[in-house]
This record gives sequence, structure tokens and C-alpha cells, in this order.
Amino acid sequence: MTHDPLVSAKQKLKDDGWCVLPDILDPSQASAVMERLWAAEAESRRQGVDTFMPVLDPNPSNVRVFYLMELDALFRDLIQHPVAVEMVRSLLGESFLISNFTANIARPGSKSMALHSDQSLVMPAPWVHPWAMNIIWCLTDVTFENGATLFIPGSHHWQTRADVPPDAHQRLRPFEAKAGSIIAMEGRLWHTSGVNVTADQDRALLFGYYTQPFLRPQVNWNAGLSSGTQASLSPQMRTWLGLDLNANTGETADLRYLEDQIAHLKAPA
Amino acid sequence: MSLAPALAVPPPTRDLAQGLRNIAEYGLTIVPDVLTGDVLNRARDALYRAADSDRARQREQKFSLDDAQDDTNRRVWNVLSRDPVFEDMAFHPLALDYVKAVLGWPALLGNISANITGPGGGEMVLHADQIFVPEPWASAPQGMNVAWCLDDFTEANGATRFVPGSHKLNRAPRAEDRQAETAPMVASAGSAVVFESRVWHKTGHNRTADQQRAGVFAWYTKPIYRAQENWFLSLRPEVRQFASDEALVLLGYKAEGLGLVNGVSPA
Repeated sequence: MTHDPLVSAKQKLKDDGWCVLPDILDPSQASAVMERLWAAEAESRRQGVDTFMPVLDPNPSNVRVFYLMELDALFRDLIQHPVAVEMVRSLLGESFLISNFTANIARPGSKSMALHSDQSLVMPAPWVHPWAMNIIWCLTDVTFENGATLFIPGSHHWQTRADVPPDAHQRLRPFEAKAGSIIAMEGRLWHTSGVNVTADQDRALLFGYYTQPFLRPQVNWNAGLSSGTQASLSPQMRTWLGLDLNANTGETADLRYLEDQIAHLKAPA
Repeated sequence: MSLAPALAVPPPTRDLAQGLRNIAEYGLTIVPDVLTGDVLNRARDALYRAADSDRARQREQKFSLDDAQDDTNRRVWNVLSRDPVFEDMAFHPLALDYVKAVLGWPALLGNISANITGPGGGEMVLHADQIFVPEPWASAPQGMNVAWCLDDFTEANGATRFVPGSHKLNRAPRAEDRQAETAPMVASAGSAVVFESRVWHKTGHNRTADQQRAGVFAWYTKPIYRAQENWFLSLRPEVRQFASDEALVLLGYKAEGLGLVNGVSPA
């Protein structure tokens, strides 16, 4: 039996709701991606898509790029990086959807967004199972000072808002990692962006967001990816993006109750 | 846990408040005579024409919860793209009133498809429509159906059968629940039957020698769920072109938070 180099990372993700995998990109690759990200950011603005989101961030020192996979094939490669996909499959199962892939560059002076878990924002309680997760790509070193994402250890066990303690903010800890690492974080873990208190360091993260297949993606990829980009995709990527007709047929937890191998479709009766 | 007071479906009502009480108590309510006269006739003609066309062209799609040996029951998927009369059902003011009251707004149209039983047609597997959602379920229904009866639904011709009140169990039926006692949803042609996504039900057995019964089932969900039909691929373009704002919301073209393009709504 071959040794799975990711076995302990998968276990930590399952148990703790997060894990860090270092050295997925080497330093030169990380800085090359960083350059391509700034190019994508400029192209996004040139196309008239704002990179400041007042609904999310208190000031424009947070730079958000939304359209990564359309802007550069490099990002289409990263979202389906074998290590990322393996970590996603270990938590969400064989079928999953790519919901979004965005960048958040925290420049000096950037502030925290609201404390949240991704599931608490949109999914009904109780939050018993992970329905979503992020693979966070660190393109720069990520430190507390430069705005590392802050998370609350153990918060993925909070099942309803009533479980969120009044001192939640005091329990925040930074995800610190070297450039080239990925951080896997499941959808029930409470977190917020950090505060960049440095004078001159950018902190750049890419957020690959993956969900269970019965959930609606954050981005409408059918409408959002150009025909040229769609034509470049493999059948596997088309499935992961939900571009085809096979919708809402994923396996879910209730399979264990059913003796037959039935598809989980709503059926008119 | 006891289910409904008696194993029966509630009497038909046109009153929305009573209908909502029926859904809370039984899981379903019947609204009589919503489609009448020529409107009903045109809808029935359009559906049977589409079903006959699919059969003649060998385009019928089997469904895995149906009896695999059964060639008499028929399904027609995505009727919205087959004839404008189905837009009148999917976006009917009565349907929208129930969707807003049961699910809230915005909501999505997950699918609208038809089920026609034929003589000798078999039963479906007992199920709840939100079985794709992992348990434990939230305390509110995550979806609902508006079933449009285009023929009379009778006990003999395969009326949908319900376990009234089973939505209160807030879980999918398990193997040992398969033989649960059920009540037929008897309703006259032109009725709309509204049922929430947790109530257990199945297509009934059609024991008639010569009757078909057709129902069009519009399935709506809360907006976080992926639509069963990928409207962006399969919708007849003029449906979108002439759609109301509410219809665009239901089809996912007017979106908030999810289903965006460049961070904003695609329409």
C-alpha cells in the first residue's frame, strides 16, 4: 500500500476544520502567480469591474479580483491543482462544484470584514456537516501583521448562531503561512480577514471556494465564462463548474437510508 | 410521533391563509379551479402533444425513482421550453403567493416537468423532494411544489399519494417507511396542489383500463440550491426575453449573492 503524503493533512482538516500545506508552489512560482494576479487586477479594472467591494470591506486597501478563471488560464490550473482537488474530495466527497475563485489582496491599512462562517452566511442551521470549503493560496508570506485571515479554533462545531460565544472576537487566531502554501478551511469555521498594520507589505490570497453539488454556485459560470474559455475546458472541469445539464444529482448523506442506488433528484409525482 | 389527525388530505380551499395552515398541518393544500375552460384545454393539449412527440421521437427520459419496468407512465422534462402555456403555470400569481409565503423571496424555479400515468402504471418509490439535502434538515422546508392537475386526479388513475403530516418528522423516509399508509390526492382537473418539500409522497398506481392523468409539477427552492434544470442551457430564449422581473428571479437571471457574473446579477 502506498503512503498517502496528504493523510495527516486530511485528518487535520476533518478534525480541526483547517490545515496548512506548505510548499505547494516554490517561491519563484508564487511570485510569478503574484505578477499574473496584478495583471488580472489591472485587466479587471480596465473591463470596468471594480476591485473595491464596499459591501465586504471597510476601505479600498482590500483589493478583490473576481474573475480569475476568465482572466488567465493560470488560475484555471490552480483551481484544479491535484492537491487542492484531493483535499476537497477528502472533505466534500467525490462530487463537488467550484463555486468561486477570487483574490483578496490586503494592502497596508486594510481592515477586517465581518466575522462569519461561510455556511452561516447563506445556509440554514443546523450546520452539522461541511457543505463548503476554501482552498486559500498564499502568494505572499502571511503574517498576523500583514493581515492574515483570522479564525476561531473549534468554531466549526458551532451548529447555530446561539452557539457563537459573546467573546468570539477574543478567540481569533491568525492563519500564518509561507508564500506558496495552501490553507484548507471548511465552511463551518468562523473567520474574518485580518488587519494589515505593516507600512509596506501586501498580503495576497486566492480563495478557491468549493461546495457540495446540490448548492448553487456563487458565480453563474454558464453566463460568466466566455465561450472561448468554456471551449478550453476539459469535460471534468465542465462538470466541476456545473456547466452541463447534469444538475443536482450528487450523492448526499441520506444514501445510507436507501437500499437502491437512486439518483437524488426531485421527481414530479 | 403521530402524523395528521386523520390520514386524509385537507378539503380544497381558495383561501391563502387556510391553505398555509393546511400546508403546516398536512404538508399540502389543494386549490380548486385555478385553470378552467379553454386555458385548461390548451394546457392539456400542449402537454399531451409534447409527450406524444417525445414518445414518437424516442426522446423520453426514464427517471430512477420510477418503476423501471413501467412503459405506460411518461415524464416530460422542462415543459417551460415546450409551450408558453407552461409559463402561465410556473409564474402564476397563485404559485408566487405560495412560494413567497412558504419559502420567502427570492426563490428559484428548480424544474418544471410533467408526469402522466397510464393504464397499469406502477407506483414510485416513497420520497420527499428535498432528499438531496443532507440530514439533519433545517426547521423550515427548503422547497415546494405546485402541481397542476390537467386531468382529474382520482384514486384509481394514479393520483399522487401522500403521507399527510409526514413533513413534521423532518426527515426522509427510510426503507422501513416504504409501506407507510398513504392517502390519494384526489383533485379535479384545473386544481393546483401545493406541497412542501419534506412531505412524503409517490405517484399512485393507475388501476384503470383506459385512463391517463397528467400533472405538471413546478418545483421551487430557496435560492441557495442549485436548480435541477440548467436554465442557462435549456431555456427557450424567448421565455427569458419576455419574462417579468419575478420570473427572472425564479430562473436565476436576477440574482443576489449567488449566481452572479462579475459580482453582479446577470440580468
